[in-house]
Amino acid sequence: MTFVVTDACVDVLDRSCLEECPVDCIYEGDRKMYVNPVECIDCGACEQACPTAAAVADRAIAGTAAAWNTVDNAAFFDVVLPGRDTPLGTPGGATHLGPVGTDTAAVAALPPR
Amino acid sequence: MNRPVDVAVIGAGPTGLFAAFYAGMRGLSVALVDALPEPGGQISALYPEKIIRDVAGFPAVKGRDLVGALVEQARSADPEMLLGRQATDLDDLPGGRFRLGFADGGCVEAGAVVVTGGIGTFTPRALPCGEEFLGRGLSYFVPDPAELAGRRVLVVGGGDSAFDWADALQHTAQVTVVHRRDTFRAHRHTVDQVLAGPAVVRTAAVVERLRGDHRVRAAALRDTTTDEIVEIECDHVVAALGFVANPGPLLRWGLDVTDRKIVVDPAMRTSRPGVFAAGDVCTYPGRVPLIAVGFGEAATAVNHAAVRLDPTASTFPGHSTDAAAQPVALSA
Ligand SMILES: Cc1cc2nc3c(=O)[nH]c(=O)nc-3n(C[C@H](O)[C@H](O)[C@H](O)COP(=O)(O)OP(=O)(O)OC[C@H]3O[C@@H](n4cnc5c(N)ncnc54)[C@H](O)[C@@H]3O)c2cc1C
Repeated sequence: MTFVVTDACVDVLDRSCLEECPVDCIYEGDRKMYVNPVECIDCGACEQACPTAAAVADRAIAGTAAAWNTVDNAAFFDVVLPGRDTPLGTPGGATHLGPVGTDTAAVAALPPR
Repeated sequence: MNRPVDVAVIGAGPTGLFAAFYAGMRGLSVALVDALPEPGGQISALYPEKIIRDVAGFPAVKGRDLVGALVEQARSADPEMLLGRQATDLDDLPGGRFRLGFADGGCVEAGAVVVTGGIGTFTPRALPCGEEFLGRGLSYFVPDPAELAGRRVLVVGGGDSAFDWADALQHTAQVTVVHRRDTFRAHRHTVDQVLAGPAVVRTAAVVERLRGDHRVRAAALRDTTTDEIVEIECDHVVAALGFVANPGPLLRWGLDVTDRKIVVDPAMRTSRPGVFAAGDVCTYPGRVPLIAVGFGEAATAVNHAAVRLDPTASTFPGHSTDAAAQPVALSA
């Protein structure tokens, strides 16, 4: 049960969510933001902050065409991203980690917006 | 040094408040510690005005009213309330006791510890650059507006604290507000005061870096639409970017931790004897992070702490409806 940043964020990357998240669990990829499902406390502040309605509850997109985003947000932290040796895991805060500079394979393959 | 207690409860969120009450019901003396100046944890910090509908016995209760009721209930334990104190160290003392140290240098001695630190303590969100100037012209607060009189002050952020400070300073200092967006979260009224006043407001701009020598001299601002960089001279930078919660010190106490949560067994014991954990700070397979869940865990943790303190005691507390407990309940 967490919030998720969907592909509506791709090439928008407004980052308002990053400023609102009270646990600093929204990480910046190259083309979009990703919510860390382990660190998220499900408060919904990102949903209110997002100007493109990309931040949504996972339960709101379950069973819809957008559901792949839930898996993809988790994958950003669980799989080894291009150019890294280990998965990001739970870094415990996006600010001190800084922009990650890469995306999941699924997002990197999306056409430019 | 505060008076020694049987149980130190770390975190005065809903879980910690109920744990403090419960310690009193077990006849234990208790200290309740919280880094924030007010009890209530996430409820007070993030949603005091929201209506909560899933706390047993309350069909609907406003966040701050639930906290008020929990504080009142905890009062029967006569807890030593140590608010505004961040617990940073947990050291072993002879006889299986503990010394809990605070960031301000104080401490309290306890026979058992119940960690109810939830998502952790709130600290100011760092500016992405220029951290090295902290205390040398960069700050997260305005401790004394008089000190900044006549200075060129850059206030970064678009929320209430940014605008409150900009408003408070704009008639005595040369204030520039920098905000990444062109909309502000701050109260309409304060925003209007600042926009109508002498302060300069730069929107769609971010602080790219700070420059200086032994202190801040200038900030490079990047226009978020054109990427153009301009440098403006300043004497002081106030980063008012809100607060972020982080478990911080709690994870450095040698307790078993997984995914930044403290691992507990079914009796809410951590890997360190005498140290228990309950509420959102703890984890076990299948845990659900809810207020109601934390209440149950608090009762379990304190009942087991009572047995640790007095091995002849029973884990079962007796019922609060027992005759012996009635006067306590009535005088609460
Ligand atoms: C917007 C929002 C809405 C929610 N709605 C609901 C709901 O409807 N129903 C529900 O059941 N739950 C809800 N929750 C979740 C609920 O608030 C949490 O489950 C609950 O607050 C956890 O309580 P806790 O006492 O374990 O931890 P917290 O509330 O996180 O409190 C922990 C306390 O410990 C203190 N602390 C931490 N570390 C230290 C330290 N080292 N030294 C001193 N003090 C320390 C902190 O300052 C804090 O006050 C909601 C959460 C949010 C954010």
